[in-house]
Amino acid sequence: MAIFNRCEKDDFCTKDPVTPKLVLRFYDANEPGQLKRTERLSIWAAGKDTIPAYRSVSLDSIAIPLNTTTLETVYHLKINDFDGSIANNQIATLTIQYTPEEEFVSRSCGFRVLFNDVRFSTDTSWIQDFTPATLSTIDNQNTAHVQIFH
Amino acid sequence: MEFPEVETDSTVYKTAYGLRVGADISKPILAIFNGNYTGIELVADYRIGKKIYLATEIGFEEKTSIEDYSNSTSKGSYIRIGFNYNAYDNWLDMNNEIFTGVRYGLALFDQTLNSYTPNVNSLYFPSVPINASITAPDLTAHWTEFLVGIKVETLRNLFVSTSISYKIAFAVDDQENFKTLFAPGLGRVYESGTGFGFNYTISYLIPFTKK
Repeated sequence: MAIFNRCEKDDFCTKDPVTPKLVLRFYDANEPGQLKRTERLSIWAAGKDTIPAYRSVSLDSIAIPLNTTTLETVYHLKINDFDGSIANNQIATLTIQYTPEEEFVSRSCGFRVLFNDVRFSTDTSWIQDFTPATLSTIDNQNTAHVQIFH
Repeated sequence: MEFPEVETDSTVYKTAYGLRVGADISKPILAIFNGNYTGIELVADYRIGKKIYLATEIGFEEKTSIEDYSNSTSKGSYIRIGFNYNAYDNWLDMNNEIFTGVRYGLALFDQTLNSYTPNVNSLYFPSVPINASITAPDLTAHWTEFLVGIKVETLRNLFVSTSISYKIAFAVDDQENFKTLFAPGLGRVYESGTGFGFNYTISYLIPFTKK
């Protein structure tokens, strides 16, 4: 009977993040290969509040969570290249469809979720193009999953 | 050469040889204070030399491991077989021990993943607990133990013993897409495959002969 509880590495989950987020990078549509910041970017999932970290920010790279309890997540991405007035907001919709898979990691980290057979689609707004349209799996967030051209 | 008078040599003190049987009383006590644990262990040893004992323990344990992201129950039986070496030189006809020992351990058990919560570390899309109830039967664990302990004869032929052991697992079955978090007899299964055990037993010696 092991009654000596020792602080081994399996006592604390040090793997962060366990479940990968979706990483998007924004590029210049006129100059592919050149990163281009989004102006006054706000992001929210359909039916939810704006993600606090992405409220009218200027960034060329973002990481957003996918809903692990459904087969798709719909995000709205608002930018405003002009003056911040509501009339000049441009809102694009990014739909991500996938098959979630639970994978055991360790005692302290538990199960993480991977996303397989990922498909991306957008409506026609400020997003002129993106690549790739599909991914076999999202199992880490070391590099960008989708390049978005605007 | 003959030594016909050897039986009268009063400086030779004999000690009893026989089968010693008992139980680990720490496990039922632990079960009283820990609602997630039950366990019993019976112990026996047989003296095969002046300082060498053949030793075995058999037991049953059931434990529910409650972790941040999972809840699982392991239950099953185990046996440990090995030797103890008494390093203590007794006075007169006393029969106490300071011993070291080695064991091979084998557990047969099953583990049930009762429930889990996917670790999505996202407050934006929180995950929900999932009642899984997935049981993997017929799992085995193999390990070795090195132990040190003391035995004291408190009343005639009645021994109280305590020992600690260092365990090294060398083969532990895992259930599919999960891990064995506890194995009967081995205890908590650490990432490193090593662990410590503790034992407090009361045993009775059935003397067969004196040497």
